[in-house]
Amino acid sequence: MMRIIFERTGGFMGRTVSLNLDLTNLPSEQAQTLKRLVDESDFFNLTEQPPNTIMRDGFNYSLTVTKEKTERTLHLSERNIPNGLRPLVEDLIERMRK
Amino acid sequence: MSHRHSIFCILPPYMLDQIVQNGTSAQREMAVRTLATSQRVRKNRIDIAKAAMRSGSFSVIGNVKNRVVYDARLGTSLPGIVARSEGDTPVFDPAVNEAYDGSGATYDLYAAVYSRNSIDNKGMRLNSTVHYDKGYDNAFWDGQQMVYGDGDEDLPAAQRLFNRFTVSLDVIGHELTHGVTQFEANLVYSNQQGALNEAVSDIFGSLVKQYQRGQTADQADWIIGEGLFTENVKGFGIRSMKAPGTAYNDPVLGKDPQPAHMKDYKTTSQDNGGVHINSGIVNHAFYVTAIEIGGFAWEKAGQIWYKALTEKLQSNSNFQNAGDLTFEAAGELFGLGSLEQNAIKTGWSEVGITVGGTPGGGGTTPSGDGCLKGLMQALGLSK
Repeated sequence: MMRIIFERTGGFMGRTVSLNLDLTNLPSEQAQTLKRLVDESDFFNLTEQPPNTIMRDGFNYSLTVTKEKTERTLHLSERNIPNGLRPLVEDLIERMRK
Repeated sequence: MSHRHSIFCILPPYMLDQIVQNGTSAQREMAVRTLATSQRVRKNRIDIAKAAMRSGSFSVIGNVKNRVVYDARLGTSLPGIVARSEGDTPVFDPAVNEAYDGSGATYDLYAAVYSRNSIDNKGMRLNSTVHYDKGYDNAFWDGQQMVYGDGDEDLPAAQRLFNRFTVSLDVIGHELTHGVTQFEANLVYSNQQGALNEAVSDIFGSLVKQYQRGQTADQADWIIGEGLFTENVKGFGIRSMKAPGTAYNDPVLGKDPQPAHMKDYKTTSQDNGGVHINSGIVNHAFYVTAIEIGGFAWEKAGQIWYKALTEKLQSNSNFQNAGDLTFEAAGELFGLGSLEQNAIKTGWSEVGITVGGTPGGGGTTPSGDGCLKGLMQALGLSK
């Protein structure tokens, strides 16, 4: 069981958009991809970066992953997304655009 | 904060522009300004400026526009590769040219009208990056430079919501102004301070556009981000300073959430405490002030706000502080109880913020009692 909640706020427009994905409800191929991206990012062990306080109009993200009984939320600013997490974040952003 | 104006009473350059009717090129205005702000030639500065301009025997000191536009080539590394540098002829890429021209237009407003030499007032190079990331519906200031995405230009036309972010001149002015604010009041980017920070960027972003178009306050559209939406979106822009909350109402994007009055102030944890939402209140106060004063908004209303931004506002200033301090700045520039100061009061009053409780009062420090007005009267330029 895995659930991903992804929220983007801020930006020039200040509009908040979010995704709430229960992987059991996704086509299995998509669910497998997301599961892999979460695992590869080592999400539950990533160090949270200090917020970027100098950037203006940047997007802020909050990413919550629930895997079995473990849940974690990471707050990310546009320019401090850990490299290992980028593929997952980019996948989620693409989903939000559709 | 910088305190450039050690001389208490100096003529703003737009007044010099009015006095010296010798054309409007930025170079001339700057020359006049250089003379006008020199303490050594205060007495007869206008005559000197006129003479200097006639003979061409002036030099523009230090104020040189220096722009570089980079191309991120759809990646996220900054700044990217150089696409056009200062003095280069236009390239084939419209985003590059828009960033170049837009940062130039913004520089010009600040230099000609507010005597400011670039973002840091020390001639800082204006760096912009275009084609940032793929499908990037945004523009930002990263603390050192401006960055613009291509919107939805990677999608089929029928699915696009956003055009590239350089299409809108006020967006460029907005981003560059975040740099100016960073070097001046450095308003904290959350809650009311952050919304004030955003409003300052919208105000001067809009003024850049109005200045370039030569529009008076009543001719201007007061739209922020006009042209950013594709025809698939029901909306005319991202924000409206004239009527906050009315810029768009779209099935996909939702409705413009901006309030125009304190009674509708939105308390939220999103968007750094609603910095792009509650800025509508301050934006509208500025709009009302500019309409009340009439004429070109960058002149008087802009001058008051520029003074507040560079000399009065602090990083923790809230809306009420901004009201009090713009009221104070207006009193110092145009006189206590002047039309301009009353227009500031009316602007804030329209959005539910009371400043200057008693007529002509309300400022927290003694003011210069309108030395500019007095000088204008002496010159027969004002009654």
